[in-house]
Amino acid sequence: MNRYRITHLLAWMIAPVLVPAGLLNADDSVVNSKHDLSAYGPGPVRAVSEDEICIFCHTPHNAAPQTPLWNRVNPQTYYRIYESSTTDARIDQPSGPSKMCLSCHDGSMALGNVLSRPATHPIVMTQRTIPPGRTDLANDLSDDHPIGFRYDRALFNSDRQLRAPEVVSFELPLGAHGEVHCTTCHDPHDNELGDFLRVSDRMGAVCVSCHDRDGWRHASHAISKKRTPGRNVDPTERLKYATVADNACLNCHKIHGAPQRERLLRFNREEENCLNCHNGTVATLNIAADIAKSSAHNPDRRTGVHDPDEIPFAMRRHAECVDCHNPHAAQPNPVGRVRGTFGQTVKGPNFNVSGVTITGRQVDSARFLYEICFKCHADGISRPRNVTTRQIFQTNTRLEFRTSNPSFHPVAGPRRNADVVSLIPPLRVGSVITCTDCHNSDSSGASGGAGPNGPHGSVFSPILAYNYENDDFTSESEAAYALCYQCHSRDSILADESFSRHRRHIVDIRTPCGVCHDAHGVGRSAGGGDHTSLINFDLSVVTPADTPGGRRLEYEDTGTLSGSCTLTCHGFTHVGFPYSNSARSKRQVSLPGSSQGAGR
Amino acid sequence: MRSGVIVIVCLAGAVVSAGPEGWKHDFSGKDWSGGDACRVCHVRGTDAPAVAPLWDANADLNRTFGTPLRESQAAGLGTTLCLRCHDGTVARDAIAPATPQTRFSNREHPGRLRAGHSTSNHPVGVLYPSVDEDYRPANRVIASGTVSLPDGRVECTSCHDPHDMSGEKYMLVRNNARSALCLTCHRK
Repeated sequence: MNRYRITHLLAWMIAPVLVPAGLLNADDSVVNSKHDLSAYGPGPVRAVSEDEICIFCHTPHNAAPQTPLWNRVNPQTYYRIYESSTTDARIDQPSGPSKMCLSCHDGSMALGNVLSRPATHPIVMTQRTIPPGRTDLANDLSDDHPIGFRYDRALFNSDRQLRAPEVVSFELPLGAHGEVHCTTCHDPHDNELGDFLRVSDRMGAVCVSCHDRDGWRHASHAISKKRTPGRNVDPTERLKYATVADNACLNCHKIHGAPQRERLLRFNREEENCLNCHNGTVATLNIAADIAKSSAHNPDRRTGVHDPDEIPFAMRRHAECVDCHNPHAAQPNPVGRVRGTFGQTVKGPNFNVSGVTITGRQVDSARFLYEICFKCHADGISRPRNVTTRQIFQTNTRLEFRTSNPSFHPVAGPRRNADVVSLIPPLRVGSVITCTDCHNSDSSGASGGAGPNGPHGSVFSPILAYNYENDDFTSESEAAYALCYQCHSRDSILADESFSRHRRHIVDIRTPCGVCHDAHGVGRSAGGGDHTSLINFDLSVVTPADTPGGRRLEYEDTGTLSGSCTLTCHGFTHVGFPYSNSARSKRQVSLPGSSQGAGR
Repeated sequence: MRSGVIVIVCLAGAVVSAGPEGWKHDFSGKDWSGGDACRVCHVRGTDAPAVAPLWDANADLNRTFGTPLRESQAAGLGTTLCLRCHDGTVARDAIAPATPQTRFSNREHPGRLRAGHSTSNHPVGVLYPSVDEDYRPANRVIASGTVSLPDGRVECTSCHDPHDMSGEKYMLVRNNARSALCLTCHRK
């Protein structure tokens, strides 16, 4: 104790001698920061003998004709500047203070080359120029946050994801004409926060001072306390903070030297930015496993095609994570298992994603899940083509699901068809389902598994939540048509409660559901009979029948639970072959709301 | 005060150099100085004007500057006396051609210094910014005992000692190792 006191006392006596007044080594001083390039500086880059600190940038006399008493020559480098399809800013070559920073940080000029020294006798440094690494920006500024653009009212008016320049913190000074410079975010004299930042980058504070992304405040990526264990997230760089929330923007973005230049992302392949966490290492659910399945929305297949500015109708075919998810707004799915009756407004994971409405209008923020699907599966020139050739061939799902169609699965709106008697509660006539009720991962919560929800991938093609056999002569079983039997009671179907010949067709003759029914919906068409009850024959199995009036292939709806067929199938020929479930139809016809569709 | 001491020393008739060996303001070796180190700047006797420190009565102390100075930026003696020579109009043969580094004239208009906030030279004749967080409080600067702020202004003599008593390079008032002189005022 006594010894401790003496040491302590000694320290206090010596301290003022060792540390001259005005040189207290506070963290907020340039002294002893990495910008202290004197021979006493802490970094590997420093002078061999020069003991002054300011002299590397400033001189009191005969400075360069630019404030603040600049002691260096500006580089004459022509820089490759940042470009982006989504920026509204006009980005120019760097100027003013940025140019001053670049006189060291572009690596082109000798660090010891100062105006106050003859060019022949520069200050001798341990490294002649700034060594390659994260502080050497080189002449390529396209992988760095843009500088040299005016952050003004006009920019704010055109880019609604920015804050008004007036409300940006005074801690972040803009240039004389409102330009963003290096010095907007960095204070070269103050390294208290690290990286010479003026405002901490913890929780993205420095970023959100200007960037105001819709939905960010409540987004998972902004509030998740999940730990980001070191290099699991980015093998090339240790994340600065310990949790997703603290790293915030830095989880995905690199402000300088970003491998993916245009969006300043950590990885050039879009999906890697997501899957490095969403492969079970950081995020709870393993999306990567689903995407690797045989039928999947596999973002691996294309790189460099997706563009946030793309037009759904004209874009090349691709599926990136960000086509359906907005990482700035995504939230957890509070519902978990989605089964129809919840309605279909988008849930947390799909917040603030662009879409195409049922009427074909582009929207910035989809209200319904199907609107997101329609971006690719509707009017787009590169939409996937149907594998089944049907009577009415339609690959535009937007047209298939229109609520004015003779029949459709109730995705875009409810359907009141009294013919549907097989529904398993809580589903009923009038329920609305979502695309993901059928198209989902086979291991998802919706399928009774523990995996992530959503049509990421499935062992059942095309990305089906349950098995569905579409091959002709499939033996009927619970498993063969598991997808359909999720909503439509197998008992009811096989008991011929709706179509009175169901058992005969499905069990006896082994015809799969899809030979007669078109799962999405059938649009109006001249000729070819009625298309109620999703009747749209698979032409690889069903062919026209020779009739006195010529070759005909048609289904005629003659009322509730009754109709007639004219076709050839499995060697049988029906010509006006009628069916009726009269006992049931008498009971059904009195159901309210049964007029739509039933009478056609 | 220090200047006063030196004047007294000179008056005593002792031919001394105020600064150390090689003091650059020692012009006693020049023909025009008459072999007197002090007389180049200072006057002996009683006919000195009422301007400390016994300056040459013929000196044009009301030199106008290229940029009109605001009242608050009117340079004091600690600047104007220096510029008597260092503005490039006086003794040009002695100073200007040989050492352009010490000629602080406006290059387009010789003899008219851009005082106040110049872009290429540290400002002189300006009031010390006491209430700016980038600067240390004036009382602490004065308490340092090295940098002076005459009349609360930053002048040439704030940083330079024309008699070079400390023997530092550039006649600085103190050693600038670790930029200690700069950081006496600047909180960076």
